[in-house]
Amino acid sequence: MNAVIPVENGDVLAAMRGFLRQLLETGVVEALYVPLENGEAIVPALVAAPAQLAGANPLAPVMPINGARAVSALTNKQAPAKIGAVLRACEMRALVELVKLQQATLAGVVLIGVDCAGTYEVAEFVKRRAWGGERLSEYLSAAREGRDPLIEGITLRPACQMCVQPTPTGADIQVHLLGADLTRGIPVTLRDEIAARLGLSAPVGETADRAVVVEKLIAIRAQVREKELTAIKERMASEGGLASLFAACLRCHNCMTACPLCYCKTCLFKTAAFEHKPEHYLSAARRKGATRMLGDTLLFHVTRMNHMSASCVSCGMCTSACPTGIPVGAIFSAVGGQVQSAFGYTPGRSVDEPLPLITFLANEWAGIGEEK
Amino acid sequence: MTTNDFEPRIVAFLCNWCTYTGADLAGTSRLQYPPNIRIVRLMCSGAVDPVYVLKPLLEGVDGVLIGGCHPGDCHYQTGNYKTRRRYVALQEILKAAGFDEQRVWLRWISASEGQRFAATVTEMVTALKELGPNPMRETWAV
Repeated sequence: MNAVIPVENGDVLAAMRGFLRQLLETGVVEALYVPLENGEAIVPALVAAPAQLAGANPLAPVMPINGARAVSALTNKQAPAKIGAVLRACEMRALVELVKLQQATLAGVVLIGVDCAGTYEVAEFVKRRAWGGERLSEYLSAAREGRDPLIEGITLRPACQMCVQPTPTGADIQVHLLGADLTRGIPVTLRDEIAARLGLSAPVGETADRAVVVEKLIAIRAQVREKELTAIKERMASEGGLASLFAACLRCHNCMTACPLCYCKTCLFKTAAFEHKPEHYLSAARRKGATRMLGDTLLFHVTRMNHMSASCVSCGMCTSACPTGIPVGAIFSAVGGQVQSAFGYTPGRSVDEPLPLITFLANEWAGIGEEK
Repeated sequence: MTTNDFEPRIVAFLCNWCTYTGADLAGTSRLQYPPNIRIVRLMCSGAVDPVYVLKPLLEGVDGVLIGGCHPGDCHYQTGNYKTRRRYVALQEILKAAGFDEQRVWLRWISASEGQRFAATVTEMVTALKELGPNPMRETWAV
């Protein structure tokens, strides 16, 4: 049912905190994954004590980790208790993929999906810690009107500027931050029995047309996405191509560490398979005139594309994590998008939609390989 | 290097049961085909991880051939169906990332198709001569 979280004195954050607190206190969940304020920063946490929720801030427009990873760590084969998780749209999509990759389970998990009007880079957010007042009010206005926030000196992360899926699907509780005047009440959609437990009732009077606002926001973002992906594809196809895009790569593997979908405990590239003998480097140097040290830098990225780009949900954690500013997210979104189209696959859409690379039919692509 | 001098180098990943045996048949039948190919034998084409194809390609090899049993005939029932899907994904990735996807071939060649093997190699060498050397030969910062 559709309901409303009542907001007093226009304090939207207090209302959200109250709502989350109720979830814990009424036993809808036994522990809650939610970001908590900690000094200048926002720190993702698993909260067991309702008192700690006084510092909860799921509205802070920053995403230090992709929450799907946290839910994976909290569930794996089975959730240890009734876990609630407050997740943005892209975190939900990544979680759906992780469930299909058998790295998380949704049984016993209450998903609280929150509309996302965009996030800022962690460093930028921390620098401008005074997030209340004018900035918050502009951010909430942007969410209400369906546009990017106009705050001086700070822009949304590139992945957010081109995000065309800002609303989560498939959550048990959906918090509708977009398209509404939140100071008058936070619209939510949730199961009737949860609403009853929390004492929430249906909205009274006219409700804003969320769908129209969301569509408007998506239209703006889609244009940016089209432009960015076309541009990056051109760069990849041009002289130098991918090698020049990754020329500044430090091989720190931050992109892989931050990626919610790279779940391998030991990356292939950290194993003995890539511990080359000295002669290997020397012969490569002789063959090409020079060889990049240390080796296999580009190979890592193209292999990672092969291993996970079909499931890439364009959350952009990789770009945010890259210390040299390589647009990893744009590259993987572009390449991933092409792989996904080839298989008619949309990552994160549904747990029932099988992963393209572990599914296969006897009769498909019949022409391939049979060329005379 | 003129086009006439350019001899493409091909690395091949052939499945033990079909293509490798087919290649062997080409040999015992004394069929002539260009010597540009270097073969790596695997038990199944489904065992080909895309990284095996990408490594030589980034090092500068001119072409990579993956050979397996015809769909339906896989010694391990479904291995080659997986190869096929991985190949489709790999082709899209090569295209999107600015590499020449025409350098990676997938061919189903059975144990009795010695002539098809010889013809495939011949065809591939001709096609690669047309494409020219892999530009990755000159790209050292990989």
